[in-house]
Amino acid sequence: MSDAPTKTAVPLTCWSCSAVAESPLFCPACRRIQPLPPGTDYFILFDLPRKLRIDPADVERRFHQLSWKLHPDNFVRATDFERYLSLERSSVLNDAYRTLRDPISRVEYLLGQENMRKEGQSKQQAPPELLEEVFELNESLDELRTARQSGGDGEEMAALRKRLEAAGKHFEEKLAEVDRELDLTFGEWDAALDAGADAEARGTLMARMNDILNRRSYIRNLVANVQKELAEA
Amino acid sequence: MGRTFGIDLGTTFSLVAFTDPATNQPECIPGPYGTTLCPSVVSVDPDGSVVAGEAAQRRLLTQPERTIYSVKRLMGRGAADIQEELKLFPFRIDADSQNVVRVRLGDKVFTPPEVSAFILRELKSWAEDHFKEPVERAVITVPAYFNDAQRQATKDAGRLAGLEVLRLVNEPTAAALAYGLHEKQRGLVAVYDFGGGTFDISILKLISTGEGDIYQVLSTCGDTHLGGDDIDNALQAVAREEILKRFSLDIARHAEARQELRKALIRVKHELSAVETTALRFQLPSGDIYAREFTRAEYESLIRPIIGRTMGPVKQALADAGLKPGQMDEVVLVGGSTRIPLVRRMVEEFFGRKPHCELNPDEVVALGAAVQANILERGVSNMLLLDVTPLSLGIETMGGAFSKIIPRNSTIPASAQELFTTGVDSQTGIDIHVLQGERELAKDCRSLARFQLKVPPMPAGMARVEVKFLIDANGILQVAARDLHTSEQAGVEVQPSYGLNDTEIERMLEESIEYAEQDFTERQFIEARTEGESILHATAKALAEEIAQEAPVEERRNIDAAISLLRAAMMGTDYKLIRARVDALNQATMPLAERMMNRALSTALEGKRLEEV
Repeated sequence: MSDAPTKTAVPLTCWSCSAVAESPLFCPACRRIQPLPPGTDYFILFDLPRKLRIDPADVERRFHQLSWKLHPDNFVRATDFERYLSLERSSVLNDAYRTLRDPISRVEYLLGQENMRKEGQSKQQAPPELLEEVFELNESLDELRTARQSGGDGEEMAALRKRLEAAGKHFEEKLAEVDRELDLTFGEWDAALDAGADAEARGTLMARMNDILNRRSYIRNLVANVQKELAEA
Repeated sequence: MGRTFGIDLGTTFSLVAFTDPATNQPECIPGPYGTTLCPSVVSVDPDGSVVAGEAAQRRLLTQPERTIYSVKRLMGRGAADIQEELKLFPFRIDADSQNVVRVRLGDKVFTPPEVSAFILRELKSWAEDHFKEPVERAVITVPAYFNDAQRQATKDAGRLAGLEVLRLVNEPTAAALAYGLHEKQRGLVAVYDFGGGTFDISILKLISTGEGDIYQVLSTCGDTHLGGDDIDNALQAVAREEILKRFSLDIARHAEARQELRKALIRVKHELSAVETTALRFQLPSGDIYAREFTRAEYESLIRPIIGRTMGPVKQALADAGLKPGQMDEVVLVGGSTRIPLVRRMVEEFFGRKPHCELNPDEVVALGAAVQANILERGVSNMLLLDVTPLSLGIETMGGAFSKIIPRNSTIPASAQELFTTGVDSQTGIDIHVLQGERELAKDCRSLARFQLKVPPMPAGMARVEVKFLIDANGILQVAARDLHTSEQAGVEVQPSYGLNDTEIERMLEESIEYAEQDFTERQFIEARTEGESILHATAKALAEEIAQEAPVEERRNIDAAISLLRAAMMGTDYKLIRARVDALNQATMPLAERMMNRALSTALEGKRLEEV
C-alpha cells in the first residue's frame, strides 16, 4: 500500500458507448455519467492520500466540486439509468464527506478498511489507569439516583450534584486529553506514510489508534451518562 | 418540454409560481380572484362535484360539513396519531380509517392526498389559464421536518393531480433560494419558518464558488404540528369558554357559528399584529352578542407559550450545526405567523440581530420553489442546493431497540448498507422494520415500512442479504436488497406503515378522472373552435353587405383563402393551428373592417351639425 490513491488496474469501459472511460466520473467520448469503479474507497473518491490530518476547507472544496458534477438536479431530464447512477454516486459522495470531515469517523473508517478496527471487550472495561476514578464516579451516580428516588432534601441533592458535576468535568478533560493523543498519533501516521513505512510499522500505529478509540468511547459514554443524570436530577 | 412550476402547498394557503426566463426572476401567478393566495380549502357539492380555493373557503361558512381546511395536518398520518388534532379541528374522520386517515365530506370519503390533489388541480388551472398551455411538471415544497410518510403523501397528491413532481423541496430551503437570489446573501443563514400549521428552522451555509452558488443546509429541525392554527385555536378556546360562561352556550356544537367565530378571531389575530387593541362583536346562534376587547398585551401572554415552543427546535438545529446564535450572518423570517410582532421580537432577541423580512412571507416559499423548478428544467445551472434529511433513519433490532443507520442532518441523497442473516435453521424470511426518529426504542420512533427478505432455506446464520437504504433528493426512502450468495436482487415488497400503496394510488387515479377538470387541450380546442365559428359567422355577414362588393379582387381572394384554411383547421383538433388561422382571417378582413367602420362613422355623423360633433 502506498499513500497515493490506488487506481484500479482493469481499464474501465463506458456502459453506453464502450469507449475506454479513464475519467472515473464521465465517459470522455459520450460524456455520460459512469458507475462508481469497484474498489473506490472514500479516500480515492476524494483523490486524497490515506492521511488522517485533513484540512477541512480542502475536503469541503473537493466535496463541492464533485457535488456540482454528480447531483441528481443535473440529471432530471436524463435516462432512468443515468438518474440511478447520479443518485447512487451522489449518495456515496455525501456519505464519504460525512465520514471524512469528522476525525473520529475518519480514523474509524480507515481502520475498518484495513481490518484493524476491533472494539473487543475493552469497550465495556474501564481502562486500568481510570479504574479508581470510574469507581468513585459510579458511586456518585448511585447516590444521586438513590437520593432522588427517596426525594432527598435540597441541600443533600445540591452537594451530590456538585460532586457529580466536578467528576463530569474531570472526565471531559480526560476526553480532551485522549483527543489530543489521537491527533498526535494522526501526525505520526501521516509522517510514517510520507516516510514509506512498512506494513509492520503501520500495523503498530493502527493498533494503537484502535486502543485509543476504545478508551475514548468508554470515557465518552461516562460523560454522556453524567450529563444525562444531571439533566434528569 | 413545457414550463415547470413551483408550488407551495401550504396549511392555510397554497401558491403557484414560475421563473420568467427573460429576467430569471420568480413570480407568483394570480388566480381568478386577483390574489396569488389560494385558500387550502376543499368543498364537495351534494351532486359530487368538488371546488377548491376561494369558492370552497366561502362554503366553509355555509356548508362546513362538506368543506375541509388545514388538511396538511393529516398528510401521512394514521387514525391513531390524530386524536389530538380532532379535539381542535372539525375533521370528520371516517370510522374505517386505519393507517391512512379518511375524511368525510358530505357523503363522500377522501384520503388527505386526494384532498390535497384538488388544491393542486386548482393551482394547475391557474397556471394553465395564465400561460394558455398545459402544465405537467412541478416542484412542490414540504416542511423541512416532514417525515417520509408525509413526503410520500405529498408526492402522491401531485400524482393524483396529474402532475409529475420533479422534486420535493424543503420550505425553509426554498425561502433561502428566493432570498439568496434577491439579496445576494453569503455566509451562515438561519431560516425561521413559522407558517399556518408547521414550524421549521434551517441553518444554511451560502457559498460562492467558481461554478456558482451553493446552498448547503447544515441542519434542520422543527415541529410539523405547530403554527398559526394553534394561535387561532388558543383564541377560540378563550372565546368558547367565555361564551359558555356568559351565555351557557357551547359554540362547538354549532358548526356554522363555530366557523364564523373562527373567522372573526383570525381577523382579531391579524389586527393585533398592527394595532394595540381591537374589539370583537359576535352574534351567537341564540341572538346574544358576545362582545369583547382584545389587547396586544393580553394576546401576547396567551400566545407566548406557543411561540416559545419554536425555540427548542431552534436551539437543537444550532447545536447540530455546531454553531452559536451569534454566529449567524443573516436571519430570515418566512411564513405568515412571522408577521406577529412578538415572534419578531423573540427571534431578534435570540439571535441578537434584526431578522430579514423584505420578501412577502406568504410568497417567498413559492418563489423559491420556482427557482428550483428553473434549476431542474435547465439541467445544469449556476445554483446547487444541498439539503439534509431531518430525521435519523434506522431499523428495529433485538428487544425493540432502534438502531440508527443514517443520522439526521445527513446530506441527501444518503445511503447505508446493512447485512442481514437468519436466526434459525431453514428460515425463509427475514422481517425488517424501518423507522425514523431520535429515540432509543423503536416504539417511540415513527414506523416507515415493514418488509420481508426472502431467502432460500439453509442453516441459521448462513444467509447473507445486503440491504441498501437510500434516501433520495426528495427525502424519500428507497430500499433494495441483494443476496450475497447469488449476487441477485432479493425480492422486497415494502408495505408503507402510513401511506397508500401502488394499488391504492392506481385506483384513486382512475377514480380521480371523474373529478378531473376537462383536459386542458380539450378545453383549448373547444375555445378555439368557438372563436373560429364566431369569426366565420361575422365574416359571412360582412361579405353579404353592399360595401363588401367594392372590395378589390386581391383582397376578396385573400379573405376566401383564409376562410377555407380556417375551415380546414377546424376539422382537426390542433387548437394552435385554429388560433393561427383565426388570426390570419382577422388580418385578411382588416381592410374591409376598416372601411365598414368608416362608413358607420360617417353615417352616424350625417345630418349632425358641426358643433354637435
